[in-house]
Amino acid sequence: MKYVKQGMKNIKGFTLMGKTGMAVVCVVLFLGIFSDRLSVHPYNLPSGSAFEAPGPVHWLGTDDLGIDLWAQICFGARVSMIIGFGTALLAGIGGSLIGICSGYFGGLIDKIVMRVTDIIIVLPDLPTMIVLGAFFGPGIRNIIIVLALFSWTVPARIVRSKILSVKEEKYVVAAKNYGAKFWHLTIRHFLPNILPVVMVSVIRLFSKAIVAEAGLAFLGLGDPTSKSWGLILNHAVNFRGIYFTDYWKWWIVGPSAAIMLLVTAIAFICRDVEKIVNSKI
Amino acid sequence: MEHSIIRVENLSVCYHADKRGSRAVNNVSFCLDRGGSLGIIGESGSGKTSLAMAMMGLFKKPTRVDGQVYYENTDLNRLSERERNLYRWAKMAIVFQNSLDVLNPVLTVDEQILECLRRHTPLPPREADKKVLRLLKLVGLEAKWSQYYPHQLSGGMRQRVLIAMALSCDPEVLIVDEPTTALDAAAKDEMIKLLARLHKEKKFALIVISHEMQVITRLAGRVMVMYGGYMAEAGLTKDVLKNPMHTYTRGLIHASPSANPYRDLWGIPGEEAGNSSEGCPFYNRCNQKVSDCKTKLPRLAYVGIERRVACNRGGIVTLLTGENIYKSFSFRGKTVKVCDNCRMAIRSGEIVVLIGASGSGKTTLASILAGTLAADRGEVLFEGEKVKGNRAACRKNGIQMVFQDPFTAVNEHLTVRQAVAEPLDILKQGTKEDRIQQVKQALKDVQLPGDDGFISRKCHSLSGGQRQRVALARSLVMEPKLLIADEISSMLDPSTQANILRLLKGLQNAKGFAMLYITHDLALARKIADRVYVMQQGSLIEHGSVPDVLSKQGDGVAALH
Amino acid sequence: MRKRMLAKISEYLMTLLVIITLNFFIPRLMPGDPFTFLSSDEGQVTVTYSEEQIAKYKAYYGLDKPILVQYTSYISNLLRGNIGYSIYYNDHVSTIIGKRIRWTISIVIAAIVISSLTGIVLGSLSAWNRNGVLDKGLYTLMMTLSEIPAFLIGIGFLFILAAKLGWFPLAGGMKSFANYSSFADRIMDILHHAFLPVLTLSVVRLGEFYLLARNSMISVLTKDYMRTARAKGLGKMRIIFRHGLKNAMLPIVTRVFLSLGALFGGAILVENVFHYPGVGRLMREAVMVRDYVLVQGIFLLVAITVLTMNLIADIIYRRLDPRVS
Repeated sequence: MKYVKQGMKNIKGFTLMGKTGMAVVCVVLFLGIFSDRLSVHPYNLPSGSAFEAPGPVHWLGTDDLGIDLWAQICFGARVSMIIGFGTALLAGIGGSLIGICSGYFGGLIDKIVMRVTDIIIVLPDLPTMIVLGAFFGPGIRNIIIVLALFSWTVPARIVRSKILSVKEEKYVVAAKNYGAKFWHLTIRHFLPNILPVVMVSVIRLFSKAIVAEAGLAFLGLGDPTSKSWGLILNHAVNFRGIYFTDYWKWWIVGPSAAIMLLVTAIAFICRDVEKIVNSKI
Repeated sequence: MEHSIIRVENLSVCYHADKRGSRAVNNVSFCLDRGGSLGIIGESGSGKTSLAMAMMGLFKKPTRVDGQVYYENTDLNRLSERERNLYRWAKMAIVFQNSLDVLNPVLTVDEQILECLRRHTPLPPREADKKVLRLLKLVGLEAKWSQYYPHQLSGGMRQRVLIAMALSCDPEVLIVDEPTTALDAAAKDEMIKLLARLHKEKKFALIVISHEMQVITRLAGRVMVMYGGYMAEAGLTKDVLKNPMHTYTRGLIHASPSANPYRDLWGIPGEEAGNSSEGCPFYNRCNQKVSDCKTKLPRLAYVGIERRVACNRGGIVTLLTGENIYKSFSFRGKTVKVCDNCRMAIRSGEIVVLIGASGSGKTTLASILAGTLAADRGEVLFEGEKVKGNRAACRKNGIQMVFQDPFTAVNEHLTVRQAVAEPLDILKQGTKEDRIQQVKQALKDVQLPGDDGFISRKCHSLSGGQRQRVALARSLVMEPKLLIADEISSMLDPSTQANILRLLKGLQNAKGFAMLYITHDLALARKIADRVYVMQQGSLIEHGSVPDVLSKQGDGVAALH
Repeated sequence: MRKRMLAKISEYLMTLLVIITLNFFIPRLMPGDPFTFLSSDEGQVTVTYSEEQIAKYKAYYGLDKPILVQYTSYISNLLRGNIGYSIYYNDHVSTIIGKRIRWTISIVIAAIVISSLTGIVLGSLSAWNRNGVLDKGLYTLMMTLSEIPAFLIGIGFLFILAAKLGWFPLAGGMKSFANYSSFADRIMDILHHAFLPVLTLSVVRLGEFYLLARNSMISVLTKDYMRTARAKGLGKMRIIFRHGLKNAMLPIVTRVFLSLGALFGGAILVENVFHYPGVGRLMREAVMVRDYVLVQGIFLLVAITVLTMNLIADIIYRRLDPRVS
């Protein structure tokens, strides 16, 4: 609760860009949560004729199968948010825990963790995700797991190096002298120190995960049952003759704009958070 | 001033000049003769390094540099960057403060020295190579180090490389910035010796910047004290050290371990506040400020031969002077001379110890100085006014006295509040609440509890040490400029004595009053005295700084040992 | 020095071994039968394998033998340069990749050169004029640019420069069924086709190099040794190039090599946008037709390339920075 309050205070310190970014993310979140109520048409079934231009019935028009695009975008927001939050939380929490353990205990655990992160950092992520997706099936859950598998190293490394320095701080030495155990130290001393840096990397992960999922879906390698923004684009660009008709005006611009808006919004938030965190250190 | 090699006039540096930023250097002027030496001393942030940077012309926009830097008769600040490069290093070189990054990490020592030679001297390559090795030898480094990278050198070696690099083009002026930072004591000593030797051999004009008194005294014949970008005081190093005229200089000396082998160290209280552009920059920390100082910027003015000080009051003022004081008592028909032609001067903010065997007349002299006893002849002036009767004692900012015996100093039937507030009650100062506030503050200052329970206690329930503090608090409510403390700790046990003394010195340092401390204890004098007077059989036989006086082998001093 | 180098190389070999092992186990950990698994994607090619083909697959994976035997034969095959046989394309995986890799390598290298050089120039410009109008404008532009996914940038270029303005071809690596009158014509056609993919990839990486160069330059400019160099009265060129750039280049040069993995990821997306006949396109095709051997072969190749580049980055860094030794 304390952190939430502090977070609210920090949001007030955002620049205009950061606040705009926050608003955009909130809107997308809203779209994602209420996607089935916000659109009268289903996202996966045709509700009109093919290639209807935007109008009062279909706000953003329809695609080649006559499916409402606004409904698809709303649902795509849900997919993006689930992927973003899922990956960021999983990788953020997991990575931080691993980082804390590795930094705090050192020794063999640390060595293993560092080697594993070395390997994962070296691996090119998109090809590896394609391989894993190809073998394990491209469901949303799998995508989140694969993305998290690739992303936890970032917070883990940051947290580890932070812990290594905090561990030497006199207040931790003193607390240990008083007999403090690992959990006490983690909650009392480590978390407040690492939370700001983890925040920044988690926001980055959020955006990275959304982009990665969009890329996979764009290649047609994402979850084929969930209409994510990348998948809409995949259908659109694979439609023969799309370049020479007017359909792209609503079929491609809509989801592209959505992705760009969301990603830049997160970037602005990230920049502001980074500024605040840096000014505190 | 025709023969001076470098002359700085009204040099100012203003960071972020576009946004009305802060000024790091303010109207600094000085000149330096060929082969001479000048020390610049001041706390960190006093503008020393900025001054050096400005002399080398290293500032870029948005930093603005005003004023002139004359090399012989050329104003360097008027030159273009290209012309100025002909002076840099060839005529005027600098040894920057040692840090890991001060040398380029990806170039060898050899290359970094060589590039200066290539740029500024016409030496053929082979000669230049030889010269690099000669330079390294000159600063006491073996030839092999030339092929090393900076990170492979120790801090001391890096400092030597910096010096070798600075001397590579045989400059006429060498600026050395903090040459001893990050060195241990032995290396420090060596570094100072090296610089002194080089100065003597190479005959360049030397400017040493340091916050360490020791470095300045050993390397510089003249010294300039800087505070907040202003020059506070300038003069011959010896004179300035012995007799500082600016309160800031005195504070620096008090804080210097090398200048105080015996005494406790005391820093200058307070921090440099973001002072307004008008007014004395030292206003917030000065202990002799007057209302004028807040609005009037002091100018650097001569107060003696080769001695300039920037103070609205002309340097540290003399608070109290006693001139030719005679006093004798008649006892059973015999006349005893208790004070025989005594002269004494106490400057603001200093601790003067009057030391002498019991019966030498110390207390009598103190009473005369305080005005409680009339002298037979002679006069006492306090801030230029004659001290007569209780005139100096019955007002704020006057003279207060604290006595030897804590048990008679305070009426034991009074409550603590009554005892401390007595002078205020008598003088009818402020409302009742004000007085209570002042009492509580004074009690807090002397580290006694200021709660209602304590101030309503009767004094007889207090211990000797506590009573002495109450007496002290009673003096403090009058905010004295001079406190005369007559053996105040002699009747206390050693631990309480130490506590009271530290408390007193701390108060003196924080509040900045002057103190005349009377004792027969030599060890004690060493601990606290800025100056000491030795009294023997009614005469003041010696006076001066503690080490000076104690090193003299006079009879009177010997008797004290 | 040499010892450390050997240790580093053995570290990389270890990493490679781990990757190979993973590559070996992934198909064996796959849920269900890999050959009945359906990547059913509407509108895409659906491939069904004949019994004969499936038998061939199973023989390749050697699924009927004990796992250790499978592993050793896998490794020994790799050592002999045999990374498998594609059933769908009916050819050796190495041959298939060999045909396609030139396309990818050329656009990736071109993009790396263009983006790093442009990034360094723009980043240095920004650093010199720090907080000026130019810096602020460039910084905001690059910040935004570095966030936009590669395929969106590609689609944008495709629509504007190829479809609307018609300056560049829409797809492919060269004209199909074309008869070139001369070698130069052929080269021109290839360059014409490669232009948009290279441009897209360069723009995608540009932000990263720009930000890196800018930060690196800014931090070098404030370093004490730059002040020392100025105080020494050295010439401007010597200060900038010998003292400044040599330090600022350190992180940039290593990043050039390290960014290869990310660049290859970008290449997959970009090649698919432009239907460019490189390995990225091949990888997607292979996944679509469930040609697992080919997918794994490509992955292995990419992993080895990236690892090698990392090793080179390490070596170069050691050469350039005397502090690491």
